[in-house]
Amino acid sequence: MSAYDVSVLSVIGINVILAVSLNMISGFCGQISLGHAAFYGAGAYAAALVMIGSGSLPLALLSGAVAGTALGILVGFTSLRVRSDFLAVTTIGINFLFTGFVRKQAWLGGEMGISGIPGSGLGARGNMMMILVFAAMTIALSVYIGRSWMGFAFSAVSEDEDAAATLGINAGAYKLAAFGIGTALAGLAGGLYTFFTQFITADAFDFIFSVMLMAMVVIGGIGSTWGVAIAAIGLTLLPEAIRFVNDYRLLVFGGIMVLVIRVAPGGLAALARRLARGDAK
Amino acid sequence: MYYVDLAVTGLSFGCMYALMAVGLTLVYGLLRILHIAHAAVFALGAYITVIVANASGSILLGLLAAIAFTPLFGMAIYRVLYQPLLSYRPDVPMIASVGLLVLMQDAFRIAFGEQGVTFQNNVYLFEIFDIGGERVNAVQIAIVVCTILVFIGLHLFTTRTRIGIAWRATVSQPKIATSFGIDAERVRYLCFAIGSALAALAGGLVGLLDNLVDPVIGYVVSYKALAIIVLGGLGSVRGTLIASLVLGLIESYGTIFIGSWLNRDAIAFVALIVLLLVRPQGLTGVRAP
Amino acid sequence: MSAVLELDDVAVRFGGVQALDGVKISIAEGEFVGLIGPNGAGKTTLIRIVAGTVKPDRGRIMLAGRDVTGTSTASRVRRGLALTHQIVRPLRGMTVLENVVLAAGYRRTANPLRALVNVERRAEIERAAAILARVGLGGTEGKLAGSLPLGQMKRLEVARALAVDPHVVLFDEPLAGLNQIEAARQAETIGEVHAQGVTVVLVEHNLEAVMRVSRRLIVLNDGRVIADGAPEIVIADTLVREAYIGTGTAAHAEH
Repeated sequence: MSAYDVSVLSVIGINVILAVSLNMISGFCGQISLGHAAFYGAGAYAAALVMIGSGSLPLALLSGAVAGTALGILVGFTSLRVRSDFLAVTTIGINFLFTGFVRKQAWLGGEMGISGIPGSGLGARGNMMMILVFAAMTIALSVYIGRSWMGFAFSAVSEDEDAAATLGINAGAYKLAAFGIGTALAGLAGGLYTFFTQFITADAFDFIFSVMLMAMVVIGGIGSTWGVAIAAIGLTLLPEAIRFVNDYRLLVFGGIMVLVIRVAPGGLAALARRLARGDAK
Repeated sequence: MYYVDLAVTGLSFGCMYALMAVGLTLVYGLLRILHIAHAAVFALGAYITVIVANASGSILLGLLAAIAFTPLFGMAIYRVLYQPLLSYRPDVPMIASVGLLVLMQDAFRIAFGEQGVTFQNNVYLFEIFDIGGERVNAVQIAIVVCTILVFIGLHLFTTRTRIGIAWRATVSQPKIATSFGIDAERVRYLCFAIGSALAALAGGLVGLLDNLVDPVIGYVVSYKALAIIVLGGLGSVRGTLIASLVLGLIESYGTIFIGSWLNRDAIAFVALIVLLLVRPQGLTGVRAP
Repeated sequence: MSAVLELDDVAVRFGGVQALDGVKISIAEGEFVGLIGPNGAGKTTLIRIVAGTVKPDRGRIMLAGRDVTGTSTASRVRRGLALTHQIVRPLRGMTVLENVVLAAGYRRTANPLRALVNVERRAEIERAAAILARVGLGGTEGKLAGSLPLGQMKRLEVARALAVDPHVVLFDEPLAGLNQIEAARQAETIGEVHAQGVTVVLVEHNLEAVMRVSRRLIVLNDGRVIADGAPEIVIADTLVREAYIGTGTAAHAEH
């Protein structure tokens, strides 16, 4: 396995964690979040600082998850107060708040970012294995949640909060839970990214990346763990495999997103279900 | 005087945001869709302005061309992207809108280059007027004047003309309006047309102000416009105008106080989040009983 | 008998109108109470106050002796209050069975942590199927809730209310929009629910039906309780007749 392959697999693993965790928030629980990159970034920066300070891999990864979820729960609280479309705008804003803040802070590296982050000690291949293990665990967690009563309650909250209330479901608590879990995973992915690159700048965590993550969720099928995971793999590989796609990445991604929503709003997962059922509806 | 300086900048930015945000608030008021692709409309207007201006030598012609053609683009977005998706929850067309924006920005980059296009003969930028001790350039004046004219025009339109009154009725009470025989579809197209024309005007003026039109020209302004329509309240044109000016001023003065913590663009979103926490229904929205 | 639902001097004001003014109601366990009143009397507001979607300016709401003023709808449901809506709100994306199973699982969904560690649904599925059979929806389990005709959707509302093991059910115009046969069937179901020991509060416009099934009638007008007692006596009350004058419904119900 070449260094290039290791690199690609690492990125795929990270994107899978990000997309599947976003799906928990936006797919399972129906809270549209266009700010996932900010939680990813928060985790990356926290992990970087902790690693530089302590040199402990587990501590750094944990800090990443904690940072992600701290910011995430803050955003989650706004979801309790405002309507869903206002929430979307707020999550867009989180991206700008995060990058705007980071770029101004010298202790966070400002415009230059943080470089020279100590390695994890596992080497590139070891990192890749670690990332893939976490990715597999994320998928497993997502599938489990989907099957549990939490997933059941999430889908009620997603569809109609007031109707869910008459079933005894406290929508606010569940929204916070969705944000909490989803953003913790995003923060963890941030930590993994930090060890992968050993150099981070705010550019990697901008609104456009949040959009790309949402594209993976939409294309894979909002609410479907496997669909989203496959979409994440596919959309990460596509620019690598096809040079044209790499140069015109946003054009292609944007185009696919629009096409999918227009033609098959349920994404790949819905298409697969339709094919499996064999009906034309 | 530094503070007056800031006020002038703040107000001219505010006017720009207002021109941009009107289209957004109209669409949101009618369809409950966050028309994020509006940024692409803005950018298209800017590109048409600069290209026609450079080709013909007349900036005015550029602006007119932009105002004439972008409504078609805006209406097409409605027809192709939103209309077929109206039966879904509003998140769905919004995500499509985001996809379109990303697509268009890249398309502009591919077609016209990452560095953008400059105006070859932008005389207005360098005509500086001295108004009461303040140095303002002609473009800033144009922005403010245009905004005033536009809003007066809109006001007259929606209160004096039949079409305008029908339009206002539909925007505030869609279901009742249709029972009065008003064609909701036509009103929607009109909204997209007017909103797009205004965004194109704003785009052209911003291009003149920076003397540059690049692929990310719509970027930040449009996201602030989103914050503005939330602050300004559901589909309220007046609220949008007020919120735009207020935001322009908050940004200007805000950089003094928190400019070391956050860059200018983030200030808009801080204001938004703080406001939403205090008043979840926006500045002029009504809380459901 | 203890009071299962109590409103103590409840008042609320909206946009210049006193929607409810000093309302005092006490409903004991096992009662079957009809709540009536002309349009604008405050019935809807009262329902919202009991449900928890509106906070009163003054006064308390008590469920089984416990003060629940200011608590959320969901927590009131978990304390034994069930609601059916006038404008039905099933979870349309789910099947009929899933709607009732989710309701039946109210203990499991009490908080997200508990929901996370619970996966088993068999018991709830069995209970839900039984309830569906009881309300006459046996056979529709697999259908999407959004695809049902109105009469069946209203029965689904009742099924969901039953599934949360309520002490008291507040029915908001359960017969509205139904034809005579469906309305009779629905009234019968509500009667059966009561017969099993559940306290029923029925808000209805259909005076005839309410008169027939209720043991006690409470009349609201202009945000106040103007009569409260046995149906025959309440209907003959002059205040009540005045409140309905012009609609002719009171006179009609007498015959």
